[in-house]
Amino acid sequence: MNRRSAPMMLLSLLALVACGDDEPSRREIEVRVRGGVGARSFVCGRSYSGIGASRSTWEGRDFRLYLSNVRLVDARGGSVPLELVQDGKWQHGTVVLLDFEDGEGACRMGNADLNGSIRGSVPAGDYAGIRFDLGVPFDVNHGDAAVAPAPLNVTTMWWNWNAGYKFLRVDGVTAGLPSWRLHLGSTGCDGDMMGNVNACAHPNRASVAISDFDPDTDVLVADLAELLGEADLENHKAGDPGCMSKPADTECAPYFSRLGLPFGTQAAGTQAFFRKE
Amino acid sequence: MARAVLRPGWWAGVSLSLFLGCGGGEANAPRAYAWRLPAGFPEPRVPDDNPMNDAKVELGRRLFYDVRLSGNRTQSCASCHVQARAFTDGRPVSEGSTGEHTPRGAMSLANAAYAGSLTWVNPTLRTLEAQALVPIFAEDPVELGLAGLEDVLLARLEADAEYPGLFVEAFGGGAPAFSVDRVAKALGAFQRTLVSGNSPYDRYVQGDVDRLSASARRGLELFFSERLECFHCHGGFNFSQSIDHSGNVFDQATFLNNGLYNVDGRGAYPAGNTGLFAFTADRADMGRFKPPTLRNIAVTAPYMHDGSIATLDEVLDHYARGGRRIDSGPHAGDGRENPNKSLFISGFTLNPVERADVLNFLRALTDRSFLEDARFSDPFSR
Repeated sequence: MNRRSAPMMLLSLLALVACGDDEPSRREIEVRVRGGVGARSFVCGRSYSGIGASRSTWEGRDFRLYLSNVRLVDARGGSVPLELVQDGKWQHGTVVLLDFEDGEGACRMGNADLNGSIRGSVPAGDYAGIRFDLGVPFDVNHGDAAVAPAPLNVTTMWWNWNAGYKFLRVDGVTAGLPSWRLHLGSTGCDGDMMGNVNACAHPNRASVAISDFDPDTDVLVADLAELLGEADLENHKAGDPGCMSKPADTECAPYFSRLGLPFGTQAAGTQAFFRKE
Repeated sequence: MARAVLRPGWWAGVSLSLFLGCGGGEANAPRAYAWRLPAGFPEPRVPDDNPMNDAKVELGRRLFYDVRLSGNRTQSCASCHVQARAFTDGRPVSEGSTGEHTPRGAMSLANAAYAGSLTWVNPTLRTLEAQALVPIFAEDPVELGLAGLEDVLLARLEADAEYPGLFVEAFGGGAPAFSVDRVAKALGAFQRTLVSGNSPYDRYVQGDVDRLSASARRGLELFFSERLECFHCHGGFNFSQSIDHSGNVFDQATFLNNGLYNVDGRGAYPAGNTGLFAFTADRADMGRFKPPTLRNIAVTAPYMHDGSIATLDEVLDHYARGGRRIDSGPHAGDGRENPNKSLFISGFTLNPVERADVLNFLRALTDRSFLEDARFSDPFSR
């Protein structure tokens, strides 16, 4: 090699190496979520028959939930984080608020806006599964709600009695229970002298995995008919009408069962609230 | 050339102010808040993100008495926290703006700045700022009734002639001018100034020995005796073991069972008022509640978390017996046998003179200057 061609060869080599350093492309994903009651969809004030072990007619008054730590499952079975669009409204960090109530009429605790989407990006490729947590991550669940960014500043999703958020809020009415509520959140939270929560005895964060889920074509369903399926929606013996996650409230057991969460001495079963369609 | 004659004093004044103005600090360095604390009281703990200033305290007072902090404009914080009753409301439990009742009574805000935790039983509520959000946004029961209506609240404040300026004075500029956070911070700052330490007992302790009658002095001895043991749960400068202040380094939030109920014979308290058990699901926490301050206790009837003891005389009956027996009804049971009852409640005997002495001592904890202090009164009253 003579002295004049050596620099050219070096330049070509560098060019080749530079081309090899291009970033892999990402693609945008919008996971559609349906807030369902069986085959029908949740609408404020609409009544649904045959709900619960009591086969009740149940009228919906609220249906909102936080999901977090959403991951898609790639072709090799590995979890890939769905990096959420930080939209300043429904999504912040890894948390997304899904909202199926429109604030109309009896849904007076809600607001007009609806959200049935989880929007984010993943590396380009094929995905065949989705995993997520139902709930707000611990490191975000016990902050100062008054200064938290949206969607963590929705006052009706605060849970002041136990320092944290309602991970899931379902309110409704039956003939037997005019004020039925299902509010899921962490309990047994231990606070230090500054009001910082150290740990919660019952995190109540449900881990969900749906296999064979194509985020481009499939819809994720959060089905209240399934969630309420084992409950007596007409009678209330103790605790709160419905369930507010209090550890001593035995009437929480049928809901926790469908969420795949343990409750008291009842071991965690298989979650049946979420599925694909 | 004529020489101007400068009066030395004037010049010194100018140079002094120039000196101070140019002194090494930033132009807007906050001055230390001038607490007006009773002798022997430590400084309250102040959250780092909510420093005290006079404008913020005054804004907080205004908000505290403002019915626009309720959804239907019928109630303010002051509806359940009345100054003349040391900021309680005289009821066993409280009634919210839409008629729903709370499970427990409104606690006195006197010295709430020094509480180890806030409300009758919540181990996670530690700051006045955090607690302020609870009655404003609670739904179960509805208290002030603003859940989901924070935009309505902020619009009301913005539309007021005074609040925009008051918020700037309190918080400086910055956007947004109005926020739930700032409302909570102003309310917290105001409540932090509700300090009561000028009762006849206090003045006696400071050396004015005529402030306590002979009877009350005997009552003081009984209160602090191993015979009655009151001071174990209701001791210290705030007559409560649940304490926090700027020099405190230990977590002194306290929850105790004083033998009021025993519904199932194994320690149960009535549903909805199981105390700390509702948070921890630990049976040992059944029936444990925060021991409140006994300051101003003579004006804060009825007593206990559910107001189920009407008079101080009956409170003494309760502790003299060592626990309450309820003979019939849904809450029947003997609280004296409650397995979670504090070991310090084992009963005692008081003769009629001694009983009167203890009651006179408790009455000597009433701080009339606090109950009538204009700084804590309703700025809207005419």
